[in-house]
Amino acid sequence: MKKILLIITVLVCLSGMVQSQDQPSSIGFKPSSYYTFSWNTTFTTGDFNKWVGNASPAGFDLGGRYFINGGLCAGFNISWQRVSEAYGYQTYYGDNGTAITATNYRFTWMVPFQAVVAYHFMPEKMISPYVGLGIGGDYMEHHLLVQEYDLYKTRWDFSLTPEVGALMKFGYFSQWGALVAFNYKWTTNKIEFTNNVKSGDLQMLNLKVGLVMIIR
Amino acid sequence: MKTKLIIYLALAVTLLASCSKYPPSSARLQEDLAIYTKYDVTINFNDYKTFKVVPAVAYIDGKDSTTLTDANAMALINRINTEMLSRGFVAVTGTAKPDLGINVTAIKSTTTTVYSPGWYWGYPGYYPPSWWGYPGYGYGYPYYPTYVSSYSTGSVIIDMVDFKSPTADHKVMIRWNAYIRGLLTGSHSVSDVLKSVEQAFTQTPTLKTTP
Repeated sequence: MKKILLIITVLVCLSGMVQSQDQPSSIGFKPSSYYTFSWNTTFTTGDFNKWVGNASPAGFDLGGRYFINGGLCAGFNISWQRVSEAYGYQTYYGDNGTAITATNYRFTWMVPFQAVVAYHFMPEKMISPYVGLGIGGDYMEHHLLVQEYDLYKTRWDFSLTPEVGALMKFGYFSQWGALVAFNYKWTTNKIEFTNNVKSGDLQMLNLKVGLVMIIR
Repeated sequence: MKTKLIIYLALAVTLLASCSKYPPSSARLQEDLAIYTKYDVTINFNDYKTFKVVPAVAYIDGKDSTTLTDANAMALINRINTEMLSRGFVAVTGTAKPDLGINVTAIKSTTTTVYSPGWYWGYPGYYPPSWWGYPGYGYGYPYYPTYVSSYSTGSVIIDMVDFKSPTADHKVMIRWNAYIRGLLTGSHSVSDVLKSVEQAFTQTPTLKTTP
């Protein structure tokens, strides 16, 4: 999966370089800002993958970028994500002599929020690749559902999210476009339950595909 | 532009407010097979040496109740016997009083949805303390027992009663109980019942004694 994402990124970046050789630089416009709405797929990694191994398409991301100087822009992102997986009969030992063996659901619900700095290569072109870094935090709820018992822990954290992607206008002067990007999020969040279910810092890969509203 | 931004923000708020954090499939968890156990952590099972299991399964179907001694019921009782013997306990027979008595109840269906722990003790078919040789005594829990909001269709409840140390106020306490739930949902068989009983004992590793 990581190789596929790397290949997609390289192709997107190269497409931007190719188009600059074919078209005069006067066509197109550099936006003043743009807003994104993306469908977000999460791939857990490391200790997070041991908690929930499934990739999850249950997520969306809202963002805004404001161009400051040249291709440099700043903005925000806020997201809603959930990763979940059902596990076959497992035994959980609670306090005071209690034990339950049942099918159980593990899921983590996340609300990340970040300030973002990014640099667009050729922002006036139809396809403008970019690199960026998000700095912010997350609100996470880690749930262990066993029958009607919902054991959960809530945690806030700090996170860093480097990102690469591309903004693609639907036309040289169109105010709508598409976004494809992927990022790697590192957080200080952890999972700690009884039954020795614990983790280190949680990390994940995210793939974003969405619509862009471009402001001149 | 202002209109577009307002639409964008309204869409964002609507989406955030309408999304549920719970996975949709998690709603069916309550109908799955599950084995709950709880024991009194203040006692040491090594202090108990003998046991006896009731000779029939109390059976509750709605508001009616009876006792079962068919092949399935006896398989369940024999399984409990086997588990106790494998953990070092000695079975007593006849009128001898055991240290631990074991009552078994099967629930086919229920007519109400909220129950307090031990609600089934009063049903005909459930063996009272008087049957065990303790007339005038009642049952009690020394801990907050295994409890769920509803005893669903197809449940088996096993209560392990302490007859060695009755209380001064004439109560015999439940030292271990198991609640096996969901046996009539899906495609569960008698074999599943017996495996569940085995699991109930397995997840209580302290339930053992030295002869």
